[in-house]
Parts: sequence; C-alpha cells; structure tokens
Amino acid sequence: MLSVLGGIFLRRLSGLIAAIVVTMIVFTSINAFFLTPINLIGLVRSMSTFTIVAFGETLVLVSGELDLSVGATYGIAAMSFGLLWMHGTPLAVALVAGLLVGVLIGVINAWITTVIRVPSFITTLGMLSLVQGVSFLISNSQSINPPSKLAGYPVFEALGSLELPFGIPIQIAWLAVVAAIIAFLLHGTLFGFRLAAIGGNLQAARVAALPIRRYKFWVFAIAGACAALAGILDFSFIGSTTPNAGANLTFPVFAAVIIGGASLSGGRGTVLGTLIGAFFLSLLSNGLSLLGVGTFAQLIFVGLVTIGAVALDRWTTAWGGQTQSLQL
Amino acid sequence: MTTLEVRGVQKHYGETQALRGLALTARAGEVLGIAGPNGAGKSTLVRILGGEEHPDAGEILLDGAPWSVADRRGSVATVHQEPQLFPNLTVTENLLLKRGSGGPLRPRATGRERQVLSELNLQRVADRPLESCSLVVWQLTEIARALLRDARLFLFDEPNSALTDEESEQLFGHILRIKEQPNRIVILVSHRLHELVRYCDRIAVVREGECGVILTGSTLTEQGLARELVVGQGAAASVTGTAGAAGRSAVDDVLLKLAGWTHRQRRFRDVGVELRQGEILIVMGVEGSGARELLQSIAGLEPAHGIREVAGRRNADAIGALLAYVPADRRTGLFPNFSIAANLTARLGIPAVASRWGRLLTGRLYALGRRLITQFQIKARSPRQPVGALSGGNQQKVAVGSASAKQPRLLVIEEPTRGVDLGTKAEIYHQLRQFAHEGNAVLAYCTEVPEVFDLAQRVRVMSRGHLSEPFEVATAGSVQDLAAQLAKMTEGGPAASRA
Repeated sequence: MLSVLGGIFLRRLSGLIAAIVVTMIVFTSINAFFLTPINLIGLVRSMSTFTIVAFGETLVLVSGELDLSVGATYGIAAMSFGLLWMHGTPLAVALVAGLLVGVLIGVINAWITTVIRVPSFITTLGMLSLVQGVSFLISNSQSINPPSKLAGYPVFEALGSLELPFGIPIQIAWLAVVAAIIAFLLHGTLFGFRLAAIGGNLQAARVAALPIRRYKFWVFAIAGACAALAGILDFSFIGSTTPNAGANLTFPVFAAVIIGGASLSGGRGTVLGTLIGAFFLSLLSNGLSLLGVGTFAQLIFVGLVTIGAVALDRWTTAWGGQTQSLQL
Repeated sequence: MTTLEVRGVQKHYGETQALRGLALTARAGEVLGIAGPNGAGKSTLVRILGGEEHPDAGEILLDGAPWSVADRRGSVATVHQEPQLFPNLTVTENLLLKRGSGGPLRPRATGRERQVLSELNLQRVADRPLESCSLVVWQLTEIARALLRDARLFLFDEPNSALTDEESEQLFGHILRIKEQPNRIVILVSHRLHELVRYCDRIAVVREGECGVILTGSTLTEQGLARELVVGQGAAASVTGTAGAAGRSAVDDVLLKLAGWTHRQRRFRDVGVELRQGEILIVMGVEGSGARELLQSIAGLEPAHGIREVAGRRNADAIGALLAYVPADRRTGLFPNFSIAANLTARLGIPAVASRWGRLLTGRLYALGRRLITQFQIKARSPRQPVGALSGGNQQKVAVGSASAKQPRLLVIEEPTRGVDLGTKAEIYHQLRQFAHEGNAVLAYCTEVPEVFDLAQRVRVMSRGHLSEPFEVATAGSVQDLAAQLAKMTEGGPAASRA
C-alpha cells in the first residue's frame, strides 16, 4: 500500500513522527508518568472517537468537499440511540437506527451539494446548525442519563466498556477496524483511486466520465456513518449524552486531518496521516494537561501547532522544488 | 540601447536538467524569437526570466549589470494564454491595481492610463468587467499594465494560440509597436513557424537546455527553422504528405451519427454527421463558431438535443463507454495530483486496473502505465513521476494516451496538437491514424490548415452554428489549395484559413 503513496506523504509522515518523538522526550523528562502504558492507552482511547470521525472527514476532503456537520451528526446519533433505547427499542435496532441517522444526514448533504449545487461548505454549515436544533428538539433540551446501569448489556459492553487482553479498551479495537476499512477504501480500491481523481481535478473527472455524483453520495454517507458510530461509541462508554454533544469536535477532527497531510482543495489525504495527526494532537493535549498548564495554554498551543504544521509543509515544499511525487 | 544578456543559466528539477548553461542576448528594437521542441527548456527559461524561479547557476544582466529576481518580477511582463488578471474588475480597474498607488480612496484613471488604453484600442471596452471580454482583451490589458509600470522586458509566451486570425493580427501589431520603443526588449516564444519568421528579427533555437543556433537574415526562413527544430528527431519526416493514409479499406460501419443535433443555447443548429470506421473527420471553425461546443456536446459535456448515435447506441451510459473525449486545455484533462501512470489509467476501471470487487490492482496499473508510456513515446524518468513534471508536449501525449487507453470506438479530440512541437505533432498524428486504422473513428476540432491536410480525410467547417458539407482533403493538391477551399466553405469571410 505504501508503495503507491509518494514523497510528499512520506516526508510529511516522517516529519510528524519526528515531532512526536521530540514531544514524547520533552514530556517524559518533565513528568515520568507520561510514557507509562496506562497513560498512553488512556490517550489512544480518548482519541479513538474523534479519530473515527476524522477518517470519514478524510474521505470527504480527498473528494474535494468539506463536511462541517460531522460534530452535530455525532451528537444527534448518540441522542437518538439513547432515546430509542430508553423508550424500550431493542438495542440492536436502536444501534442501526442511530447509524442510519448519520447516513441520512450524509445523503442529504450529498444531495444538496451535488444536485442543487450548493457548495458543501455552505450546505454542511447550515446542516450543522439544523441538526443541532433537531437534537435539542427530540431531547426536549434535556441531557439523558439512563437510570439503569449500562453494565450488564452485552451490546454496551461491546461498544464501550469491554476490556481486551493487555488492558486494551474496546474503543481502540473499533478505531483499528474503522481505520482498516477506510484505509482499504481509500488506498486499495478503484473507489479511492477515482475519488482522488475527482478531488484532484473535477473538470478532468467530468471529461473522463467518472461517476462523480454517485461517489460523492457515498463519501458523505460514509462520513455521516463514521460520525454516528463515534457518537454511539461515546454514549456507550460514558452512559449519558447532551443535546449539544459533538459541538467541540470540529476543531480536533479538521486539525487531525490537516496535520495528517490532507489537502483542503482535494485529491490528497491518507488514513495513516490522519491517524498520526490525531495521535500527535492528543499527545500534546495530554502532555500539557499532565504539566498542569491550564486549558488556555492547551488551546493556544494546539492552535499554533495546527497552523505551524501546514506552514512548515509549505516551507519544505517550496524548498524541495516541484519534483516530489504525489499520491499514486 | 538596452540589452538583455542571459549567461550560462542552469536549472534542474530532480534528475531532469531543464537548462544546461543557456546563453543568449536580446536587444531593444528587435523581436527575438525563441523556438524549440517540447521539453527543450523554453518554459523554464520564461519562468526564470519572469522571476518566477531561481536558476541554479548563471546570471542575467540588463545593460551589463546583474538583474535581480526581485527587480525582474517588477519589470518583466509575461503575456501568455492565461493572463493573471482580475476577471471581476473592469479593464480600467485592472490597470489601477498596482503597488504603491497613492491614497486610501478608490483610484481613478488618470491621463496616463487613458492614453495607454487608447494606444491599445481598448477605450471601447474600458468599463466592461474583464470576464465578459475576449481573450485578446485580457492580453492587451496585461500589456497595458506592463506599459504603465514601465516594464523593460516583454515576454510573449505562445500568446495567440487561442486567438482568431484577426485577433492575432491585432496582437502582433501591438507587439511590433512595443518593439519601436527604445528601452523595451521583446521576446516571442512560439510553435508557429510562419509567425516566428514573419515577426522576429532573430530566432534562437533552444535544444536540450541550450541555445542551439541563432537564425538571422537570410537563414531566417520557415524551412530553415523547421530543419533546425527537427535535428535529432527522426519522427518529424512523416509530418507532411501522408494525408488520408488511414483506413481507406474501412468497412462501412457508422460509428457516429448525428441528426438534427442542436445546442440548447443555439450555438449550433440542426447538425447532421455520419462518421464511419477508419475515418478521421476534422471540424474547423473560429472561436465562437460553435465547433468546440459541438464536440463537447457529443461527449455529453454541453447540453444539446436531437439524435446522437455512437456505434448504433443512443443510451448515454453506453455512449459514455464507447467514446473518449480529450479537451483542448491540458489542465482540464489531467489530474495534477496523480503520477503519469495514474493519469494514463484514470479512465479505466474493472477489470483493467481493479478486481471484480473493486480492489485496485496497482501492479497492473503501473504495468499498463509503462506500456502506454512506451506506446506514446512519453519522455519520462518513471511512471511514478508527477504528471506536472512533464513538458507540455509530453503532457499532451498523456492526455491522448489516457483517452485511448479506455479503448473507445470514437475519439473526440479538441486541438490534438495545441502548443506542441513538430516531432510530437508527427507522433500524435501517427497515433490517431493508427487508432482510426484499427476500425475506430476520430472526430477532431482544429484551427490550423496544415493539420487538416496532414491528418484528416474529410473536413467540415462550422460557421455561426452551421456545419458545411464535407470536403475530401485528398482532392486538394497542397496546403494552399486546401486553405483556399476552406475559405470558400466558410460563411461570411475567410476566417477559418490559417495556412
């Protein structure tokens, strides 16, 4: 798989890994707890859900579109799943319904973007607010805290609280499964190949008679499903949700995708990059909170790093000349 | 008198040495032509002179003093097919956008701007937004901006490849006027030999990153130039005199049939076409005649109604599978984020590059890419090279290659050799003939008569939305004959002739 990925990606990736190593060394030297398995496993668990959302977003970005509504989709999926279950719907049905809500939002996004031709930035910006509103509507603006314990339900265990051998939480397994599926889709299939073509040059894709509209429906639907899955996983783990859950997801999701090397103008992006970008982001937050620097410093620092990663990339590209090979 | 000296300029991209110590001199009061095959380093030279790129070695002197990149950016005007201007602003407003113009208020045109506008005959369109103006107005606006900022070097890089004859005449008139001014240097880069010979005082032939020879005075002829250009390019010999060689014995199998084919905005009306196996039909027509729209509508990219049959099929999906379209502009035909091999195979699907379940078979993709690179003689280091690293002519081969890789029955191609040198032209003609000969058909849009003479069996002229009757190219004895015929076929004047 890596053989088809070119130099830009490898350079970005090696840069990221170097940054991760440096960050780890710095944090460990200050606080020895940082590099313990407990901390690192907790770190990966905490990043697992937003990273799943970011994988869906990576597909959207590669296709040359944007989806700002994933945070709201995450929230409404968790809410519908929880409400349905509390009203006596069988768990499996509630689970499927929650996922379908995500797919439905994605399909509506795709329809407005490709059929009515409203730019996806505007479509999904509107959808972000709209879906949040619906979340408040269906929940009566109330958080839900199920009275009965989630423990004892195998479905909830499988989604949230099960512990695998070596103390690995189940979320990490979910993260790995989704990563593998999206990575295969993007890098191992004709679908991913054509998606990069569509995102790279829409006009040329039209000339080549690629199935642009159909693919974009798929991409938005998958992004919706990923966001919904993440919402359901978090509900199963935490055991409660609020109507505006997911409102803070937009930043980490986009930051991870962009630090991971995806291009906002389309045609470029990898699952491995997004994964490592998300890891780097979580590493910084985790390390900074271990140092006890306070939320404001965390926010400032993470913002700087996001801009810095792209600035650094521009800078190295300018010096590397035009000859690096691109994806495929 | 102002002189520009380029001394020992080198530039490499990765392992490709684009310029190997190129040297030349240009003086005010003359037009210096630059000719050369694709990949010879012309575009690199233009970018370096314009200050868009730094050379690895060598220097550029203006009047004997080093001319820095920063200074060049301000005082070199590059005029090409894609002027870098502001489409939403009017022509005048475009002139007023310049660095260091005084005051916080919205700037207004002064006497100087009005004078330049009238020198370039732009008064009539001065207050129109640029996006509603034709390409030549864009280019004249670019020239006007350069005149206003007192540019020293005017670099015309294939400026008229998308202009009509009248517009080209107009543009060259202005170029010759700039040449008369004492401190301005004019350089013209072109593939069109007759224009180089007609408008240039000296022509430098660039070959493999060096200045091969300079033609001047009595050596400055079209034939002489053609000879210099094909040095070391064996393929070019076949450029002339093989008209209509393709597929004479073709079976009478209609591959494209149009009847009552009419554009939604009436760019063309009631077009009827029958194109048989083995045939190459060229449609000519000036910009705005509806010829381009006709080709694009056949490919389903422009709205039109009427009967459209490709190999007997009318269903849009079936037609999509049977024809391949190549646009005139390579930037709308290629994927800049893809390698050469990925570009060549981008139109393929299951089973060519993917398994039955849609798994991408990269091994096959690269094998196919390599085969096409050999077949189309694309000059590349590796199939994994990004397509943007190729020269214009090689990019065009990739565009044609990716369309034919799909193995269509009908190839619809706009300006198959736009901005391409003689050797590459010959190779592309050969590929198209070969394609037709294998029982397929080619429908092309061209603007140059020699191309029609070399490539087509039949030609039809589109003027003002009407398609003329076909003309058998073989019945014309020479390019001049054909040009005369085509002029007669054009309604309302000899606009389509460009012999």
